[in-house]
Amino acid sequence: MGLMSTDVMIHASDLSKRFGAVRALDKVSFEVKRGEVVGFLGPNGAGKSTTMRILTCFIAPSSGTALVNGVDVFDDPLAVRKAIGYLPQRAPLYTDMSVRDYLSFVGEIRGLGPDKFKSALTRVIEVCGLAQVLQKDIGTLSHGYRQRVGLGQALLHDPEILILDEPTADLDPNEKAEVIRYIQDIGKDRTVLLSTHNLSEVEQACARAIIVSKGRVVADGQLDEIRAKTGAVRYTLTVDEKGAAGRAAPSFAELEGALVGLTGVRKVRELPNDESAHRVELSGSKDGDLRAELFRLAVDKGWTLLELHRDAQSLDAVFRDLTRSDEALDRGRTLEQDDDEDEDEGTDSDDADQDEEKKG
Amino acid sequence: MDKILSVAKREFRSYFDSPLAYVVICLSFFGLGLMFFMFRGGYWQIDRATMQPLFEFVPAGLAMLVVPVVTMRLMAEERRSGTLEMLITLPVKDSDVILGKYLGALGLVSVVVLGSLTYPIFMFQFPWSLGPLDMGPVLSGYIGLLLYAGASVAVGLLVSSLTDSQSISFFITFFVLGAFWFSGAIADQLSGGVAAVLHYISFQTRMNGFMRGLIDTRDVVFFLSITVLCLVSSFRALERRKWA
Repeated sequence: MGLMSTDVMIHASDLSKRFGAVRALDKVSFEVKRGEVVGFLGPNGAGKSTTMRILTCFIAPSSGTALVNGVDVFDDPLAVRKAIGYLPQRAPLYTDMSVRDYLSFVGEIRGLGPDKFKSALTRVIEVCGLAQVLQKDIGTLSHGYRQRVGLGQALLHDPEILILDEPTADLDPNEKAEVIRYIQDIGKDRTVLLSTHNLSEVEQACARAIIVSKGRVVADGQLDEIRAKTGAVRYTLTVDEKGAAGRAAPSFAELEGALVGLTGVRKVRELPNDESAHRVELSGSKDGDLRAELFRLAVDKGWTLLELHRDAQSLDAVFRDLTRSDEALDRGRTLEQDDDEDEDEGTDSDDADQDEEKKG
Repeated sequence: MDKILSVAKREFRSYFDSPLAYVVICLSFFGLGLMFFMFRGGYWQIDRATMQPLFEFVPAGLAMLVVPVVTMRLMAEERRSGTLEMLITLPVKDSDVILGKYLGALGLVSVVVLGSLTYPIFMFQFPWSLGPLDMGPVLSGYIGLLLYAGASVAVGLLVSSLTDSQSISFFITFFVLGAFWFSGAIADQLSGGVAAVLHYISFQTRMNGFMRGLIDTRDVVFFLSITVLCLVSSFRALERRKWA
C-alpha cells in the first residue's frame, strides 16, 4: 500500500458486511481522491450508512479492507477518526447541552487547546451560521440548526476528510439549499463523501457519484459519465396546442404517431404540462442527433414548435434504471415501462376527446 | 486519560443539566433523614454515639433507587438516541467511553454518599456535640460505602450497556442490586452450601465489617473484583456492536 499515491484519501476494497443472514454490503470497492466531492447515492437500505460506519470505524467489515488517509481502519481506528469529520444520519446530538458546551466537549475530545479551540469555534460559527443559537440548548433547535451544529462539530478540527450521511434529510428547501452551499464551500479544499438520495443535490454539489444498490456499487464515475452510461439521449419537445395558421391543432396521438415513425426514436412519453402546449420527452441513441429531423417534421406537419432541447439522460432516470434493475430482473420485465405505457394511453385518449370537443 | 475525564465531565454535568441530579440528591437526603431519625424510633432509640444506622440505610437506598436511576441511561439512552455513534466516532477508545461514563455516574453517586458526611460532622463535631464519636468506624464505613458504590455503579453500567431501554435497565439494575443486598438476609433463613454462597455474594454481609471498623482485604477485593468484572463486560458489550 505504500506505493499508493497519498492523493487517495479513502480506499475501500471488497468491503462486505453481513448482519445475520442479511448481506448489507457485497464487495464494495471505490476510491476517493484528495479534494474530490463525491456523492454516495442509493435507495434506502442500499448500504450507504453501513459503508460510512465502516469508514469511521464505528463497525467493522465482515471482510475486505478500508484505508482512510492511508491508515487501515483495523490497525488504527483513532488515527482514522482524527482525520475524519463525520456527521451521522439525522445528526444525533446531546439534546440537553447548549451548542457551545457541545462544541467545546468535541473540542476537548479532539484535543484542541484553548487557543486553537477559540479560533476553530469562530470559524465554525461563521461557516455554519451558529452565532444566533450558540447559547441555546440543542433540544430546542429546529432540524436545520441541529444539522448545522452536526456539521459544525464535524468541521471543528479542520479535518482532511468529511463524511456526511444524509446531511440534508429532514430539512426544508431553504435549509437544504444552505447546507448544500456550505458543502460546496467546504468542498473547495477538502475531501467530501456525501450520502443522499436526493439527486439534484448531488448535481449541485458533486462532480462525481458512486451509486450503490443492494450492497453493491452499480455505477462510479463523473456525473456525465454516469448519465451517459445507459447510452441514451433525451430530447424535450414542446409543441403549441393551437394549430399554426389555419391548420388543425395536433393531438398527442398524432404527435406520438409521427414521432415514433422517426428513425432513431426509442421511446415517447408525454410530460406533465398546462393546457396550452404538449410537452414530449423522447429518448434516442447517444450517437445521433435528431434535432434537425424533429424540426423538419414539425414544419411538415405544421406544428408550432415552442422548445426543442437535447441533453444526456437525467441522473434521476439513470438512478432509477440502475437501482431498480434487480427488481426488474425478478419480474422478467421492467415495471417502469409498463407503467409509463399505461399512463400514456390514459392521457392520450383524454387529449383526443378534448380535441374533438374543440372541433365540434 | 484526558479523554476519559472529558467524557466523565460531560456525563457528570449532564446530570445537572436535567432535573435528575437535583431530584436524586434532594430525595435521597430527605429519605435518609426520615429513615435515620424516624424509622423504628430512629437514631435516638439507640442511645449511643454511633453512625451505624447510617451505614445500613445509605447502601440500601443506593441499591434500591439511586444507582439504578443514575446508571439507567448511561449507555441505553446513547444507543437509543444514536448519540453513541457520534461519541464513538470521535477519536476515543471504547474503553475511554466506558471508563468516562463510569466515573461520571460514580461522581454523582459519590456526591450523595459523601453528602451524608454532614450527619457525623453536624451531630458530633460542629455545631452540635452529642457525644464522643469513635471516628474509626465512620472512616472505614465510608471506605466501604465508596467501594460498594463503585461496584453497584459498575453493575448498573453493565446492565445499561446490554439494553436500549432506560426503564428495562432501571428495573434489572434495581432487581440485581436488591438481590445482592438481601441475599445475606435470605441466607440467614437457610443453611448449608446455598447459604454460604448467598452470604459470600451478599453486599450487606460484606458491608458489616466496614461498619464495625474492620477493613478486611477480602471484602475490598470482592468489591473491586465486581467493579472490574462489570467494567470489562460493559466494554465487551460496547465492542460487540462492531461485529453484530
